[in-house]
Amino acid sequence: MTRDEIKDMILEIIEDIDEEAEFDQLDPDEPLRDQLDLDSMDFLDIVMELRKRYKLQIPEEEYPQLATLTSCVNYLEPRLKDV
Amino acid sequence: MAEYQLIIIGGGLSGLAAGIRAARFGCKTLILEQHTIAGGLNSYYFRRGFLLETGLHAMTNYAPARDRRAPLNRLFRQLKLSRRAFVTHQQIGSEIAFPDQCLSFSNDFTELEEGVAAAFPAAVDRFAELVRRIDDYDPFAPAPWRSTRRFLATVLAEPLLEDMLLLPLMVYGNAEEHDMDLAQFVIMFRAVFQDGFFRPHGTIRDFLDMLVAQYRRFDGEIRFRSPVASIIRSRDRVAGVVLADGREITADAVLSTIGIPGTARLSGWDLDPVAHTGRMSFMETICLVPARRMQELRNDRSIIFYSQRPEFAYRRPRDLLDVSWGVICFPGNFEGLEPADPVQIRVTNAANHALWQCLEGDDYRRAKEEWAAKSLAAAGKIIGNYPQDIVYQDSFTPLTIERFTAKAEGAVYGSPRKIRDGRTPWPNLFIAGTDQGYLGIVGAMLSGVTIVNQHLL
Repeated sequence: MTRDEIKDMILEIIEDIDEEAEFDQLDPDEPLRDQLDLDSMDFLDIVMELRKRYKLQIPEEEYPQLATLTSCVNYLEPRLKDV
Repeated sequence: MAEYQLIIIGGGLSGLAAGIRAARFGCKTLILEQHTIAGGLNSYYFRRGFLLETGLHAMTNYAPARDRRAPLNRLFRQLKLSRRAFVTHQQIGSEIAFPDQCLSFSNDFTELEEGVAAAFPAAVDRFAELVRRIDDYDPFAPAPWRSTRRFLATVLAEPLLEDMLLLPLMVYGNAEEHDMDLAQFVIMFRAVFQDGFFRPHGTIRDFLDMLVAQYRRFDGEIRFRSPVASIIRSRDRVAGVVLADGREITADAVLSTIGIPGTARLSGWDLDPVAHTGRMSFMETICLVPARRMQELRNDRSIIFYSQRPEFAYRRPRDLLDVSWGVICFPGNFEGLEPADPVQIRVTNAANHALWQCLEGDDYRRAKEEWAAKSLAAAGKIIGNYPQDIVYQDSFTPLTIERFTAKAEGAVYGSPRKIRDGRTPWPNLFIAGTDQGYLGIVGAMLSGVTIVNQHLL
């Protein structure tokens, strides 16, 4: 997957989790949780969805690397390069 | 390899929510329900062509869809259900009626604040302090049991107001007699007074159908008429279940929503069943009254919590029933509902399971009739006497509850001792639902979701 595809996929997952989510003002370098008001249960859903879709096991200590949209893309790019 | 990754015992609200959550992420899940339909305590039955609900008076924890952090909306996100598509009807208003005082409340919390200010002018500042303490309290942080009675005696120092506030909170979600854990009090205060009551559009059947459909959409399996006879133990783990018909089904993990006593019986878990069996059970009488006769009755509230005495005694009654306090619910009195004919009125009173259990056959039937009449007479003092031409009347007792919901001694709120983390002596057997500790419809469902998130995903 390209960086743009990964970005779209992340936003699609979030949109899927939360029908109220709005991305117009989203700053890719600011924490997703603060901007979209995601709680820990929502965050778990993003991780679970990645596991379901791409068989990707993300250990809990690496969750901080999913904090912003840009860091998500950085983290996922090498792991999804063959997808 | 086991046949299922997860077996859930019980197709009530906590079991269905847990099932949706597990199945959503690809966990091969089987729900086993003893009854012919889902719902457990919150289910329904048909009599004379009418669908009659059990359990549900109203849902608590009302929140508009935009309030993302509200328990109701978090629950919907977790179950991947559309909150926007979920039509709700808010209460038109409820009241707490004691002999010399009455408090009204609605989903606008200021109504209760103003009511307290009018009825208890000396306690206004102390009530505001109570609300501040509740707002600052984290009821989900692990903490030892703390007495709500002692807390209120200190903070509120107004015995009548204390009892008036406790009546709705205890009757809608307290497994203990007389007192309640402070964390549970805070949860219930928010759920009932600060968030408030609503009903889902349609009946509990529509709500259950929505949950079962969502579960099946994620390829979850549910089997009805499938009571579990035992949980299979294999060394230090559990390996599945044996059904009442002798069939074995294997699973990597088992989640039981049938309460601590029931789970102990199925698994051979050695604990004191008496200490884990609740003493609070109820009898409810449902009446269908012709709409044209409703002008003779008070019909301006969603729910009335009444007490004939200034002191509210939340405990197992000495008689079969205690009609000195109770709940009168008008399921039709919620905003935006079409007027119904006949009109449904439900009256609920505390009942003594042990005494009901002593009765058999005709004695049981007669006692039911006699106490239903006493219950309606007590409610009649609040709302006006029931007309003679009731279309239909039916009552359920602690025995009915026990038979259909597997709740030991008909204790609708389960064990007074909860297991908050859902763990049992076996690393892959968990409990969720009433005896995990989150009560009410939203609470039970969040219980299922939480235990799956913590232990099974």
